[in-house]
Amino acid sequence: MISLTVNGAKRSVRSSPDTPLLYVLRNELGVMTPKFGCGLAQCGACSVLLGDEEIRACITPIAAVEGKEVTTVDGLPARWARQKKLSAAVAKGKLHPVQEAWIEEQVPQCGICQFGMMIKVTELLEANPKPTDAEIKTALTTSGPSPHLCRCGSYAAILDGAHRAAQLMRGEA
Amino acid sequence: MKILDAMSIHGANLSRRSLLGAGGALVVSLAVAPSLTRAAARAGSVLDATKAASWIEIHDDETILIRTGKCDFGQSSIYTAYRQIVAEELSVPVERITTVVTGDTDTTPDGGGTFGLLRGAQNLRKAAAYTREAVLELAARKYAVPRESLTVKDGVVSGGGHSATYGKLVAGQDLRLTIPVSGELTSFMGLQVTGAPPLKATKDYTVVGQPVKNPSLRPKMSGETVWVGDVKLPGMLHARVVHPATLGSTLVSAGKVDGKLFPTARAVVVGNLVGVVAEGEWEAIQAAQSVAATTKWSEWKGLPGSDKLYDHLREKVNWSELPAAKSQASSGDVTLAPGATAHEASYFFPFMKHAPISPTVSLADVRPDGSVVVHTHTQNPQQLRGSIAMMLGRPAADVVIRTYPGASHFGRSNGGNAGSEDEAVLLSRAVGRPVRLQWMRAEDMQWSTSSSASTSRIRIGLDAKGRIQSYQATHDSPPMQDDRLVGAVLAGLPNIGAPGPGNPNGVQGASMGVVDSWVYDKIANVAEEGRATYQIGQRESPLTLGIRDHSMRTPVQFQQNFPREVAISEAAALAGADPIQFRLDHLKDERFRSVLTRLRDESGWQTRPSPSPAARATGAEVVRGQGVSIMFRDQGYWACAAHIAVTPATGEVRVERVTLVMDLGIVVNPLQLKRQAQAGCLFGVSQALHEELSFDQGAITSSDWYSYPILTMAEMPEIKVVIAARPDVGDYGQGSESANALAAPAIAAAFFDATGKPARRIPLRPEYVKAMLA
Repeated sequence: MISLTVNGAKRSVRSSPDTPLLYVLRNELGVMTPKFGCGLAQCGACSVLLGDEEIRACITPIAAVEGKEVTTVDGLPARWARQKKLSAAVAKGKLHPVQEAWIEEQVPQCGICQFGMMIKVTELLEANPKPTDAEIKTALTTSGPSPHLCRCGSYAAILDGAHRAAQLMRGEA
Repeated sequence: MKILDAMSIHGANLSRRSLLGAGGALVVSLAVAPSLTRAAARAGSVLDATKAASWIEIHDDETILIRTGKCDFGQSSIYTAYRQIVAEELSVPVERITTVVTGDTDTTPDGGGTFGLLRGAQNLRKAAAYTREAVLELAARKYAVPRESLTVKDGVVSGGGHSATYGKLVAGQDLRLTIPVSGELTSFMGLQVTGAPPLKATKDYTVVGQPVKNPSLRPKMSGETVWVGDVKLPGMLHARVVHPATLGSTLVSAGKVDGKLFPTARAVVVGNLVGVVAEGEWEAIQAAQSVAATTKWSEWKGLPGSDKLYDHLREKVNWSELPAAKSQASSGDVTLAPGATAHEASYFFPFMKHAPISPTVSLADVRPDGSVVVHTHTQNPQQLRGSIAMMLGRPAADVVIRTYPGASHFGRSNGGNAGSEDEAVLLSRAVGRPVRLQWMRAEDMQWSTSSSASTSRIRIGLDAKGRIQSYQATHDSPPMQDDRLVGAVLAGLPNIGAPGPGNPNGVQGASMGVVDSWVYDKIANVAEEGRATYQIGQRESPLTLGIRDHSMRTPVQFQQNFPREVAISEAAALAGADPIQFRLDHLKDERFRSVLTRLRDESGWQTRPSPSPAARATGAEVVRGQGVSIMFRDQGYWACAAHIAVTPATGEVRVERVTLVMDLGIVVNPLQLKRQAQAGCLFGVSQALHEELSFDQGAITSSDWYSYPILTMAEMPEIKVVIAARPDVGDYGQGSESANALAAPAIAAAFFDATGKPARRIPLRPEYVKAMLA
């Protein structure tokens, strides 16, 4: 049994230690927002936060995250509530500002890549509250194991979404 | 149930079955049982999927439900545009349409492929018009006033001193409206609503044209939505497939599963289809890899190789074998006048991939009685149902397709299958349990369909004044509607035919017409023809596979618009004319003229001939250029300007700015149109810079995102979208996918402007660019 924290909850898993985190999340723990895109760490559809750092769940063996804290898009609202010390009543039903910005700006086309995009932008905005266009593009292209790919071509909308999310996280209307 | 009352509504039939104490609804359904001649329906089936589902339901609580056999493919068309169009015809606020049921073959009425937004919406639009008329008739009878005295606005029918909401008018009653349809449910086009109910005048529109947000995004982004890959069936096994070594290899011997390493895994062999199933997904993946390593396939070489593709298409293919098709615009005499100047060149377009971000995944549950439920993500569930029934030799009534959100397909499943469904069905049938089959990235690159390669020969004759005197084009391409189930091919089971002259389904035939609408209406002498061949490698392959092609985004038109627009820009240079002015000089259509003029103003265009005075084909310093392209598609007028930078020494091309101007008449939803146009444009930039399927003499060798690269965010140009709406034209156009096609010819023209060297092929990868500049 390997133990880890997923979206704030301690979990013990039966999967063999070499099983990639993606399959453990999706098949054993029922955490479905990380998507299978390539299985090769080339696209970012499966991205999750390990602590504060974006990693690719499709190539990360579960043994490598033992005792660590994993956050997926499912866990972003609670992460935000914890960071902002929101009461349970205030936090109820609220999404993370990155998710809200993605809806407000109508970012997704098909949307399957956006779970990884939102994870990467959350990583960026937690470290850099007011990024430039260039910093956003760098974060989503060269900062990780591979570029975060969107086949529909929603990059212009993602740029709008990232700026809007930054505003919301800074508490601006 | 006894019919108390019946009336005719413009050829539809409205009946009142009973008076109820509470509740009440008006339900709109099919007038006749749908035709299922391709796989005859069977009465009394456990899954009687032929039972008509309603199109529209008006409930007494003022909520409205709509159903469509089309699926939303992420462009939000069903949840925004369809809802807006239906709400408009009913004259209700769009929020009243609270439930949208899509895709599932057992709960939606009409079938047909998800393509062509406005054509696809016509069924529901007409159904809504019939419904509005029925409600008005009910009100006229209830209040004993003439129908003509009644109007409907914001969901309230009023006139003659009376007023009532839709909900009030249907309350307490069981109303059935049956509307006339024609067509065949599991065909490419599905059923069409017939008749001519009065449609609302576009000048009265209040809902169409609003920037309605897509309500499906909140549940998607929150994580609530169940995507196709998230579906879990009780008792299901995870599966992977081991595909042949080449597109023509047959199975010599299948590898064995090592039971010690993979205790729950087992191999399944059906003809040349090799699959592996296991309880766990990681076990299935590893077991399939180990089976693949020891499976033996026959050798086969029957492809030209992607590096020889152009020569193969130009020199080896016999384009006279199948009948050619002339364009409607062809007229006059294209013989060059003695002494005329001419631009003559060949253009080339490689095979490309739809390449959804998630590879195809589907689940199949073949039950002991032979009935089948398939869970998938497809643009044409009813046609998939027909294909699966055909493969199994079962009636279509035995097959149900359930649909879910998934990665965008860009046309590849508009004929039914995306790749994994039929294989999941065969594996489930073999093991007697539900099976979830996920293709890996390499399978999706190598075993899904591709967008057709194409070559074109174009000759443009200029008169002494530099005006086009004649335009002649020949477009050569394999057909692009291979809807065969690849698993059925491998298993040797009944299947839709390969594209060819004998195919009974017109859309899957072998002809290759001229699809790119002619726009230069001032040119008197035009000769355009399209020529087709078989799928490359199909007749050489013992499996009959070859490189299977399928429509993508703006199919055929993309392949033909690129050479036309690049050639027109080259002819402008030969005439010493500015490329935008040259286009204006050759077309009369007022809407195209205003779109082009607007493009010149909005894009920062420098009016001058190409190449640029600073054009240079050598050196390490950047050179810049501008290019233009235009397209008419689905009643939409489109123009695009690209501004690019080229580094001759390295062959690097950077697209710095793209400006799109579009006149679609009435715009259904400007917010969604802008997002679709931006995204479609970037897909086109990706094709122009990066995309080309690679293959050797037997197999496709593009296998991942490094061997089939697409655009990254850092490469994104600045995009300006100008919606030049023309509500006065009284009709709406569509075709946000045109944005996708326009980028490549504008970029290629800008390359010529920047360097003085023509770009007659894409992608503009450094190795090709360096060869063009040499």
